[in-house]
Amino acid sequence: MAEPIRTTLQEGSVKQAVIDQYADDVSPIIGVDNVSSNHIDLLSTCRDYWPVNSIWMLEGAVPALPQLVIWPQTTEEVSRVLALAHERRIPVVPYGEGSGALGGVVPLRGGIMVDLKRMNRIRNLDQENLLVTVECGLNGAIYEEQLNRSGYTGGHFPQSLRCSTVGGWLACRAAGQFSTRYGKIEDMAVSTEAVLADGTIFRGRSVPRTSTGPRVDQFFIGSEGTLGIITAATLRIWPLPEKRHLASYTFDQLADGLEAIRLFMRAGARPAVVRLYDGQETGNHFPELGDQRSVLILLIEGAAKIVHAEAEVIEQYVLDHGAVDTGPEHVEHWLETRFNISAASRLLQKGAVLDTIEVTTNWHNAHSTYLAMQEALNGVEGTMLASGHWSHVYPEGAALYITVVGFPGDDKITYYKKFWQAAMAACLAEGAAISHHHGIGLHRGQWMGAEHGQGLEVLRRIKNALDPQGIMNPGKLGLREVSKWEK
Amino acid sequence: MGEVNMEELLNCALCPNICRCECPVLQVSGREAVAPSGKARLAAMLQQNQLNWDEQVLEAVSNCLGCRGCTIYCPFAELSLCDELLNTRLTARASGVKLAVTDPYISNLRSYGSPYGQKNWSSAAGEKGAEVLYFAGCTSQANHPSAVESARNLLDKAGLSFQMIEEDCCGYPAEVWGDQELARQLAAENRRKIIESGASTLVTNCPECWLTFTNRYPLWGEELPLEVIDGPTYFLKLMKNGYLKPGKSKFKKVSYHDPCIWARAAKKVDQPREILSLIPGLSVEEPLSYGECTRCCGGGSMFQLSFPEKAAAVAKRRLGEFPDQATILTACPFCREGLLQEGRQVFELIELLDSVCE
Ligand SMILES: Cc1cc2nc3c(=O)[nH]c(=O)nc-3n(C[C@H](O)[C@H](O)[C@H](O)COP(=O)(O)OP(=O)(O)OC[C@H]3O[C@@H](n4cnc5c(N)ncnc54)[C@H](O)[C@@H]3O)c2cc1C
Ligand code: SF4
Ligand code: SF4
Repeated sequence: MAEPIRTTLQEGSVKQAVIDQYADDVSPIIGVDNVSSNHIDLLSTCRDYWPVNSIWMLEGAVPALPQLVIWPQTTEEVSRVLALAHERRIPVVPYGEGSGALGGVVPLRGGIMVDLKRMNRIRNLDQENLLVTVECGLNGAIYEEQLNRSGYTGGHFPQSLRCSTVGGWLACRAAGQFSTRYGKIEDMAVSTEAVLADGTIFRGRSVPRTSTGPRVDQFFIGSEGTLGIITAATLRIWPLPEKRHLASYTFDQLADGLEAIRLFMRAGARPAVVRLYDGQETGNHFPELGDQRSVLILLIEGAAKIVHAEAEVIEQYVLDHGAVDTGPEHVEHWLETRFNISAASRLLQKGAVLDTIEVTTNWHNAHSTYLAMQEALNGVEGTMLASGHWSHVYPEGAALYITVVGFPGDDKITYYKKFWQAAMAACLAEGAAISHHHGIGLHRGQWMGAEHGQGLEVLRRIKNALDPQGIMNPGKLGLREVSKWEK
Repeated sequence: MGEVNMEELLNCALCPNICRCECPVLQVSGREAVAPSGKARLAAMLQQNQLNWDEQVLEAVSNCLGCRGCTIYCPFAELSLCDELLNTRLTARASGVKLAVTDPYISNLRSYGSPYGQKNWSSAAGEKGAEVLYFAGCTSQANHPSAVESARNLLDKAGLSFQMIEEDCCGYPAEVWGDQELARQLAAENRRKIIESGASTLVTNCPECWLTFTNRYPLWGEELPLEVIDGPTYFLKLMKNGYLKPGKSKFKKVSYHDPCIWARAAKKVDQPREILSLIPGLSVEEPLSYGECTRCCGGGSMFQLSFPEKAAAVAKRRLGEFPDQATILTACPFCREGLLQEGRQVFELIELLDSVCE
């Protein structure tokens, strides 16, 4: 007989009688088929893709278990189930597709998991205004496929496109691989519809820009389920591009590549994809190029004449910085392999601890942050690899994405905590921001004070005002004192 | 079918469900427990004795159509999640756990050699000892005998001598439902009859039968000592060799639904299209997903019997991918059955061929 499942981070749970009563009361509202206390459903929604969860999985443990899973199908249903939970002070965790990288869905205090995948309709495609209104639980790849069928693109291609939801993107301020042209999800979201902890429904207006006070829609973007549930959003869309231009270049020096990017962004070029890899990653992803140089991958798309002009402007800057033209085939290779993440499963089984740490730098500290974080990570015993690339670039800076792999032996969790401490300390010392698009979740909450200063206090006050009972995704986004994980 | 491959299963359990967008059962249910990696996690826990069998666990790991949609984006070339789940399920019975809904079908298999509660023997036909043996399969015989009739007509029209035997179920449904012993009994019985027939070629239009004969029988120690050919390849050959001469079709616009097994396990995506291209006057339009990227009709792994509501929901979702007004053609009895919804016209390729060949 199997032992009962071990939980590593459970900080409490709600009395079973309260949960049972809640299940009885919500069943007539959302239908019995949308309420489950089946132990398999509880087990299946208890974690996301935070690598620590994978380590525990291999040890037969889970972080924490919810007590009930529910699947509301309309905004009104979300409102009613939240109002009841609020009244009874039952913790609620929204669940998209569990691809979050920082433990955001871990139900630290048990309670209710609100799985949003049955809210997956496209409500309206507004071709004149280039807007789509979509529900939160729609899978990313299916969202894009539906738009493509009508001749449009959502322009949002995170590596997790096929395993994440539109609501998850909004909740985490996600970024797609084509973000330099189309923006991050917060740039695409013209309005949101959200339900507050007490069931209040907020519906934003899909007007371009306003001068009507702070834009309430934006409060929810990046709130990671702590302020309410984003039930739908109206997002920008684009006609499918007429032309796509692929180009790659290699640089002797990483810094030259960064400078060339800074200058072509300054000149107004907006390629969809800009990725500059350090030597290690160039060697790993494009072995035919070797690991001595840095490769820059570019994809420019849109109206043919504009694409042509952008390609010319960009080429001038990169060649001026000593780049060697290595042709379109490396970009084709990247396009083919960009969603492949098999290495993680294999490495984890071999005893590795790994993670990716994405931070935001300005141009002035882009290179120094990379060097400092790499040095810090390599300084932690057990680290085998600390490599990096820049993607998601802006006129004022870029996202730096570091991959860490270590073989620490038995004490994997201690190693994990150590290398994150080292990386975050280096990042903050350089003045970079601690996350560009994965968000905060459970794990990164410990650095929110250092990141925001008084800003965190502002966030906490907003949280207290919107969710006075503290039922929404407790323990996340660094909004309260240390959790068991940080101790 | 075989042993669970723990390394591959863990690769999947540790994957962030990259293929979830292509898993039809997940897409119609929205339940994490039936997401591809979700099922792999449960299976891995069972294997590692971290979870005990009960009906809820079995129900979750049975929620797989065997459609191989997950392989489209899967980065692990060696992984066949549906087979790992199937192998996992084979241990449930020993723990006294089974899905109650499948009981009557299992008992039908025992009594009649068909899950549908009727003997398949009415179709024993043709010429005893003929080289070609046409194997219709239980589902066509029970649900759509006119397609079996079409196959026979076509063989007659081609002027070929053929035979049909008193078929037993190929055994796959029994394995899907976790009764390996019964599966092997049925396989042994079929093998005996097939060998006795003296045929040198077996043609089947049922993808599940084809896969079972070609892939599972050898693993079960019941390898068939004759050539097994899929319907689309066989009938195309008859057309190309001039045995069948198609005339004009009464349908104008058609759209071909690739059955998952033909498309992804057998890689037979060109043959049906070539058949269509040889029929004068047809305009063929592809559905949203097609070829090796096709999406399941909901009928894989006997879902129409074990999870009928889910099967219907998957079929409905798939139907939304077809051009309006087009007649849907397919080459699988489960697909035809599943897609016959919402007033759509659905035929098997052999029925179309029968109607256009003199
Ligand atoms: C292989 C891989 C690659 C990735 N690549 C990228 C990438 O390129 N870019 C990127 O930005 N991210 C990436 N991520 C991270 C992750 O996919 C994103 O954070 C994604 O936005 C999470 O979506 P989800 O639906 O899976 O959310 P979940 O993991 O289910 O939830 C994430 C958080 O949001 C909350 N939440 C979910 N839905 C809602 C809602 N409707 N309302 C309120 N709160 C909600 C949850 O409570 C949780 O706190 C990647 C992850 C993986 C595993
Ligand atoms: S089948 Fe492949 S892609 Fe799908 S979850 Fe498993 S490993 Fe990932
Ligand atoms: S075979 Fe089909 S139903 Fe089974 S896990 Fe893969 S995609 Fe899902």
